[in-house]
Amino acid sequence: MAQENLSVWTSIPFWRRSAAWVTGFATILLIWLTFDTMGQISMGTDADLQQRVTKRVPAATVINYHIEYKMSEKRGHEVPVIGKKEPFFGKEWSPKEAAALLHLGKLTSQAKNCMNCHTLLGNGAYFAPDLTKAWLDPAWQKGGALQPMTGKSTVEEAMSEFLMHPSQYPTHARMMPDLKITADEAKGLVAFLKHMSSIDTNGFPRNFSKTVDQFKTGGTNAH
Amino acid sequence: MFFESFTDVVPSFFGMLNQGPLTLTLFLHTFIVLPMFWIYASEKKRLNK
Repeated sequence: MAQENLSVWTSIPFWRRSAAWVTGFATILLIWLTFDTMGQISMGTDADLQQRVTKRVPAATVINYHIEYKMSEKRGHEVPVIGKKEPFFGKEWSPKEAAALLHLGKLTSQAKNCMNCHTLLGNGAYFAPDLTKAWLDPAWQKGGALQPMTGKSTVEEAMSEFLMHPSQYPTHARMMPDLKITADEAKGLVAFLKHMSSIDTNGFPRNFSKTVDQFKTGGTNAH
Repeated sequence: MFFESFTDVVPSFFGMLNQGPLTLTLFLHTFIVLPMFWIYASEKKRLNK
């Protein structure tokens, strides 16, 4: 009879073993997930782009290609689609040049602290518009409201002109301050933004096309 | 179809488990909880000895 009164719930070895199992399993799972993620986010190569191999993060030379954002019925959200080649600042960039330009853009984005106001790939502030897919924003495309304002005829030139003299162009209710960005830095930043828009972010930011439709009907991406 | 077609960009084990809402969560929780029944039973056996 005494045996039936024994409770496992008050047994310290039981809790110790349970805790060891859960902690041990979770540790192995997290290490496994880390390596799983590293495979998914490693940058593709120029050869991948030429052979049309889809990578979550394409090579720096993706700046030489046209990028579109299309709804994928299979995945239930929009995905970046890398199209035909198009000149970027009037030329085709070699893998070395493209990597250097992207690096300059990344360093500039850090030096000018873009994240203090903007969001990049989910990191940053919500004071200014999300820049994750800024390159694909129709306002900067031909026929958009922002491109003619800068007097330029391509997306990259219009964007870099804006970045060099942001306080001249009212693009947003809260205007961007002049950060004294040089012409080279602006080029790098635009390359950085173009590359970022080609990253498959599982449809983030959500409802990007909704804001695009709003824009077409006279609304604004500024919120 | 019981299993949906694979939709992730890069194939992975976790992507295979992630068939819809909660499937990965349910699998991992089941995998963690089931051995705990065995831990309970073996502790009960040990205490009864």
